[in-house]
Amino acid sequence: MNFNDWQEQQDITKFLFNEARLLDEHRWDEWLRLFTPDGLYWVPLVHGQTDHLNHASLFCEDALLRSMRARRLEQARAYSQQPPTRTVHVLGNISLESRTEAGCVVRSTFHLLEWRKTEQRAFGGSVLHTLRREVAEWRIEMKRVELVNCDAPHEALQVFM
Amino acid sequence: MTIDLQALVQPDRVHKRVYTDPAIFELEMDRVFGQAWLYVGHESQVPNVGDYFTTRLGREPVVMVRHTDGAVNVLYNRCPHKGAKIVPDGSGSAGKFLRCLYHGWTFKCDGSLLSVPLRSGYEDTALDLKAQQHSVRKVARVASHRGFVFASLAEEGPELVEFLGGVATSLDNFCDRAPDGEVEVAGGVQRVIQRNNWKIFFENLHDTIHAVATHESSWRAAKEEFESMPAGTPKPFEVVIVDGNGEPLEFWEKLELKGYDHGHGFMEGIFVPPTDPVSLAYVAALQAKQGEARADQILRVNRHNTIVYPSCSPHTSFQQIRVIRPLSVDRTLVEIFSFRLKGAPEATFQRTLKYTNIVNSPSSNVMPDDLEAYNRVQEGLASDGGDWVSMHRGMGREQPLPGGRSSNGNSEMPPRNMFAAWASYMGVQTGAAE
Repeated sequence: MNFNDWQEQQDITKFLFNEARLLDEHRWDEWLRLFTPDGLYWVPLVHGQTDHLNHASLFCEDALLRSMRARRLEQARAYSQQPPTRTVHVLGNISLESRTEAGCVVRSTFHLLEWRKTEQRAFGGSVLHTLRREVAEWRIEMKRVELVNCDAPHEALQVFM
Repeated sequence: MTIDLQALVQPDRVHKRVYTDPAIFELEMDRVFGQAWLYVGHESQVPNVGDYFTTRLGREPVVMVRHTDGAVNVLYNRCPHKGAKIVPDGSGSAGKFLRCLYHGWTFKCDGSLLSVPLRSGYEDTALDLKAQQHSVRKVARVASHRGFVFASLAEEGPELVEFLGGVATSLDNFCDRAPDGEVEVAGGVQRVIQRNNWKIFFENLHDTIHAVATHESSWRAAKEEFESMPAGTPKPFEVVIVDGNGEPLEFWEKLELKGYDHGHGFMEGIFVPPTDPVSLAYVAALQAKQGEARADQILRVNRHNTIVYPSCSPHTSFQQIRVIRPLSVDRTLVEIFSFRLKGAPEATFQRTLKYTNIVNSPSSNVMPDDLEAYNRVQEGLASDGGDWVSMHRGMGREQPLPGGRSSNGNSEMPPRNMFAAWASYMGVQTGAAE
């Protein structure tokens, strides 16, 4: 499926770039506000996972859990954030997957470098953003991050991907 | 160089080397993991003939597989021909028999040799295909308790039920909580890598007094979140299971800890029986099947982490088993299995998964501060800043139990109890088990 025009593609691309930047700059509150109130941040545990209620996930966070994570990361005594996790996202292959009544589903791929303490970790995969158009801006109904190595053993995953 | 193990374990303290010395880790693989009953998996993971599930027992790659006679076997995942691991790591179905990928030797699901290609090539050679050594080796002993499969790599030793002692009741209660009296593994497996010795994790399971200190970031975040909600909002489950770590030390002191022979134990439940709709619907389902009196009896057994030393930690009220697999002296894999209570409402299992996701997932908000603490312990122990690790708190104040001992919630009885078992496996004595 194609974007309607260059402008739409540009809008969505800028939205995704901005979202990634908010994460990389630890601007958690601004990132939380990108979601609709019933929005879901989801990182499945296995490839092709269709159910987040009857199957465990790597992350499965509604507004409450997203907010708790953001609050924790900012606590003075978040010992596992001494030093804090540093990240950089590189996005690509942005394409329109489908259109919904109120918006669209956008697929992108990403490379995420994470650094903390002793080792740089590399994550990669694809992301499905279910976006809803609200007046002049896009909001996230679901961010589904499909990690290439979702089913691997992981050390702690502290920050949003 | 021989290691003087006796000099490293005392009743109330242990030498740092037991956590940091790779040679001691290798001895543990031989003597602790080579003797104890180790949790393998649950029978529901291999429901049909040929279904398999692989794991590690100490250093040994093994496969749990369902045979045509219905029995669950635990075999070394090693072909007797050239040594290849016969089934790939993970779980799946092997069909009616196991077939090695390398030269096509096939085996029944009890490991016995079925056929080899070019059988005639072995005629008049010293290799006797009928000999036991050309079957896939079974681990020495396998036994099951209410569907939980354990194996021991040693021919000799106590029977499983004797080994479990006082924590067999945790496995019983795990199943009894199902309206149908049975549980099954469901919902996927989470895996977490820890950069610490496996014993540090075990000791933390009954270390109540770290909670308020180590978990300050997550319990504060949960409390702040709750305080930001409109007055009168019932405290959400997501908050309850996180902000509980902020309870003061007096709260934990009142909890009873029980330690049993062989290093096992359990902690009394820290969460009061909830009264929200999901919990009430579950209780109603249990009562409908088991009757009110029996249901009450079952739910009265309210426990937080149980320790089945040295391989797993069941959580009976949220239906999880954490399986501990030491990888090296300073690296440990923890696998988290969630269980469905048969006959319970679907929402009960969804709550189990919520607990899994929030508390045990690699992305847990609670666990990273534990992992950070374990890792700082591991790194600190490697230094010359000191030689001994203290386990003195509450020493001498334990009360005897049949097959064990109990203490208040703030006692370091559990690590003393685990090291008594550890020393015994390793062939020395701490004198800690009174």
